[in-house]
Amino acid sequence: MNKNLILTIARKDMKATFSSKKVWVPMIIVALLLCIVVPAGIAYFGIHFDIVGNSAKDIEKPINAFIENFPNEDMRNTLIALPTLGYKFVYFFLTFMMIPFFLMLAIINSMVTSSNSFVGEKERNTLETLLFAPISIKDLFIGKVVASLIPTLSISFAAFIINLIIVNVITYPHFEVILYFNSTWIILMFWVIPILVLFNIILNVLISAKVKSFQEAQQFGGILVLPIVGIVISQASGMFFLSPLTLFLIGAVLLICNLFLIKLVTKFNNRNTLFQSQIH
Amino acid sequence: MANIIEVNKVSKQFNQREILKDVSFSIKEGSINGLLGPNGAGKTTIIRLLNGVIDPTTGMMKVMSFDPKKQGDEIRKRVGIVTESASLYHDMTAWDNLVFFSKIYGKYDTKRITHLLEQFDMLAYKDQLVGSFSTGMKKRISLAKALLHKPRLLFLDEPTNGLDPEGINEVIRYLHKVNQEEGVTILICSHVLHQLETICDSYLFLNEGRIVEKGAKKELEDKYLNEIKLLVETGLNPLNTQTYKGYTYSRRGTHQLEFILASKEEITPLLASILNETWVHNCEITNRSLEALYFNIRGGKGVE
Repeated sequence: MNKNLILTIARKDMKATFSSKKVWVPMIIVALLLCIVVPAGIAYFGIHFDIVGNSAKDIEKPINAFIENFPNEDMRNTLIALPTLGYKFVYFFLTFMMIPFFLMLAIINSMVTSSNSFVGEKERNTLETLLFAPISIKDLFIGKVVASLIPTLSISFAAFIINLIIVNVITYPHFEVILYFNSTWIILMFWVIPILVLFNIILNVLISAKVKSFQEAQQFGGILVLPIVGIVISQASGMFFLSPLTLFLIGAVLLICNLFLIKLVTKFNNRNTLFQSQIH
Repeated sequence: MANIIEVNKVSKQFNQREILKDVSFSIKEGSINGLLGPNGAGKTTIIRLLNGVIDPTTGMMKVMSFDPKKQGDEIRKRVGIVTESASLYHDMTAWDNLVFFSKIYGKYDTKRITHLLEQFDMLAYKDQLVGSFSTGMKKRISLAKALLHKPRLLFLDEPTNGLDPEGINEVIRYLHKVNQEEGVTILICSHVLHQLETICDSYLFLNEGRIVEKGAKKELEDKYLNEIKLLVETGLNPLNTQTYKGYTYSRRGTHQLEFILASKEEITPLLASILNETWVHNCEITNRSLEALYFNIRGGKGVE
């Protein structure tokens, strides 16, 4: 493994990511919208304008029933203790429903950067030159993975910190607890998301080294969003609760999948097969 | 001169299709060689095999004493390559491209980059995006890229494709310079023959995956030039419409006669006879060009 080579490739790719407005602007917009504007808006309007409360008395009953049957005891007690339906909704949404939003952000952004990796090189006719250079395919792969991992995680963490500050500034006077500062969120941000991003990147790099065009790579990558949609639905219906333990286990399973994928990458992508499948 | 490349009975199959069949040749260190053949003859496949980016089905190769199959990286460290497409990052400047590739080859040296940009008359454009360059400029940066790590061997795949005549001459001039000044052995793949005529020391003719002929131009001439076609611009107007003093000729224009001679030795006495009678402004052997030889070889015993 040649550290300098990996860094050279990673730096070049990251520079390309951030010099192309078409790539980085959507990434920032998605982060801003999903993980900052939505929670801040819900927090502010939910608390100050009582959007759910009095105007919708008829939905109060089913919501209260939902809260009473909530599987997690701590969350149930906290929700019951909150004074208005608006407060309950805001608290529930911010601590619970925001999890899939952050997962979605990590998936979308890692998909954008990583599906561009090999296919991007191929479309610019530069993959051929790289394969003709004295660099190992392993170093090339690691460089590509690092180049996707750093921007995706940086944006995810930055969005989390900004979200944490803004939301707590709005909600602390009302809830008197610091939101996002608990084991669920710490495990989500610093265990599940990095592993999920890595999983998505390796999978995309593997896919993009196999497919012929950027579009094809994105279509394959898009399939990865489906499990997250599943989580959103199951979360909203209260079907299952993402407890710290569940999150830890999800991370552990993904980690095992990562090891399996890495094995697959090294098996299928030697210089010869990569050259014959990609260069014509 | 020692052989820098040795290829022995190499075949390559891909998807049940035989791309190269029993190819054998050697290349001497310090020479400039043309690998010639029509599109799809297998020229690019040979370059890929020699660099170890694809493996042969059978046969043995040695490049600078290394086996491309097992010691590909050792070869790639010492080889420069210009692929058919310029293979540069269009969203990066010429300078950034060269810096990136010099680091990839582990030979980052700003002095070398500046020197090469100067050599290829591109220093003034170093901070411009490669995407804004003309095909000729991209080719020059590609050449500079291929020479960053001071390679012993340079492979060029259709280096003149897409270039205007001026651009072609420039590339040929640069290649000659690189060969002379840095002693780099060069292998040029091309299907445009007349461009290589002035630069190559020897040639390999490839057709349908087989080497059909090889050698220096002189050797090829001796082998394939059975008759001399001499085009003479002259005021001569022989009475006989088919022969002049025993030399067969045909009229090609008002003042142009094409003589068919048995050998070059007949040229001097023929011209002496004509000059005795009238003026001669120009004379040229028309069937010794690389292209004419190539068609001779393809039409002759070389092609099965």
